[in-house]
Amino acid sequence: MPISFKSLSYIYNKDMPYAHKALDNINLDIKEGVITAIIGETGSGKSTLVEHLNALLLPDEGSLQILDYEIVAGVKQKFLKPLRKDVGLVFQFSEYQLFEETIIKDVAFGPLNFGFAPEEAIKRAAEALKLVGIDQSLFEVSPLEISGGQKRRVAIAGIIACDPKIIVLDEPTAGLDPQGAKEIISLFVNLNRKLNKTIIIVSHDNEMVYNYCEETVVLSHGKIMYHGKTTDLFADKEKLKEFNLLEPQIVELKNMLIEKGFKISSEARTIEMIAKEVAGQVKR
Amino acid sequence: MSLIEVKDVTFSYNGTRNAVDGVSFDIEKGSYVTIIGHNGSGKSTMAKLIAGLLPIKKGKIVIDGDEVNEENIAMIRNKLGIVFQNPDNQFIGSTVKDDIAFGLENKMVESEKMPAIIEEYANKVGLSAFLNYEPQNLSGGQKQRVAIAGILAMHPSILIFDEATSMLDPKGKKEIKQLMYELSGDDEITIISITHDIEEVLQSDDCIVLNKGKIFMHGKPEAVFKEPEKLREIDLDIPFVEQTREAFGKYKIRLKSDDLKGMVDELCRYRSNH
Repeated sequence: MPISFKSLSYIYNKDMPYAHKALDNINLDIKEGVITAIIGETGSGKSTLVEHLNALLLPDEGSLQILDYEIVAGVKQKFLKPLRKDVGLVFQFSEYQLFEETIIKDVAFGPLNFGFAPEEAIKRAAEALKLVGIDQSLFEVSPLEISGGQKRRVAIAGIIACDPKIIVLDEPTAGLDPQGAKEIISLFVNLNRKLNKTIIIVSHDNEMVYNYCEETVVLSHGKIMYHGKTTDLFADKEKLKEFNLLEPQIVELKNMLIEKGFKISSEARTIEMIAKEVAGQVKR
Repeated sequence: MSLIEVKDVTFSYNGTRNAVDGVSFDIEKGSYVTIIGHNGSGKSTMAKLIAGLLPIKKGKIVIDGDEVNEENIAMIRNKLGIVFQNPDNQFIGSTVKDDIAFGLENKMVESEKMPAIIEEYANKVGLSAFLNYEPQNLSGGQKQRVAIAGILAMHPSILIFDEATSMLDPKGKKEIKQLMYELSGDDEITIISITHDIEEVLQSDDCIVLNKGKIFMHGKPEAVFKEPEKLREIDLDIPFVEQTREAFGKYKIRLKSDDLKGMVDELCRYRSNH
């Protein structure tokens, strides 16, 4: 069952002078089992959109169907806890939310909260930490003593340990160094490919979106401007201009080469692949 | 004499590992210096030491002829403006206008002069339409731009950006980097930018690469990027233009341009001439 927004609107500071319609009549179906990117300018409503997915925000108008749950504006919800177990949301700068004495306790907090027995919660926490690449020798260390990239992986482990069907990450690579960002990217690619999790990523990193996200949703001023294949979006210069999106440099290069008559397949998404295809077309 | 002289500075948070380890460098007045290195390399610690936010126990830092110490710190801070990574920790006013005014009030700028100054700097960071907005109605990137406007309004001679663009969207990043570049044209302003953005390094005058608390490389960006394998060795990225040069180099195609457009033209010539 897809994730389906139906005529959904959300207004910050409703009935106040500074009322602001952050989401405006959203109709959107997100596919299960794929990696979908949500992109758009700062303030376009990306975070507001994903915070609806586990009912942190409730719609002011319209409804949202997600898994077996239906959230309807103005109707009191009774299933928020199971929904939040099934839809894990990793916030921006999630490392600031670590609070327990040890890493293993921090990760076990989620499963404990969702009613798993302490033993089971610890087991799940250990598995999740292994999955995100945190060594067992760090389990009893305070989460405050590890690096920023490691902290963020611990925060993500806290979500994975609850075994959600859908994982939503809000700017998971922001503020990390290139190496830390690569580790986080390979982590969610694996969660998708090996565990078939539905992954929804809010990101400003168009390069990463281009390389790893099959589908892309573009938001602007609280409205959906585009939803479809990522490669189609970035191949369309008019659309990029219309949506005020910067071309990742790799797309810029690829499009310039295509314009000059070089033939490059749509699968060529890395500089190595582009160089290989172009090298075959020039004499040396 | 350089504007900032860092001499053999060593700093440790816990006494066991040196976050900054015997670092020396000079920064010239009016220059734009980027400091790169991965998390834990000591680059943020270095910025905090220069700003007098951490005590210097070993070595010394001299700014404009005055040593950074307890006695001089108030005077030195008057010359410094720091933009931090997280805008939520820097918003003081109840609206954008108030936030930019906060520093001006502290500097006892006459109130009738304030609106024009506020307007000027809000405009500079692209927020003139948001003057009456409250922080909770601004996104992270917008808040960061407010912080930058507030600092610029104080006319600091040294601007320290501590990963200040890392939370902005690509367009916001580009705008702020453009703003930093414009500011760097002002001979009275010296910019030190701690950054992960390898593309930003290309627009700076000088680049310091830190690794494990020590200076790993120091020089003009072109010189630093001439040795991509050295940067990879410490897990740092290289700019896309250099990645392109390298990728084509593997096929014995030696691209000489410094931008993508030039490289594409070279490839076209390769195709037709040979």
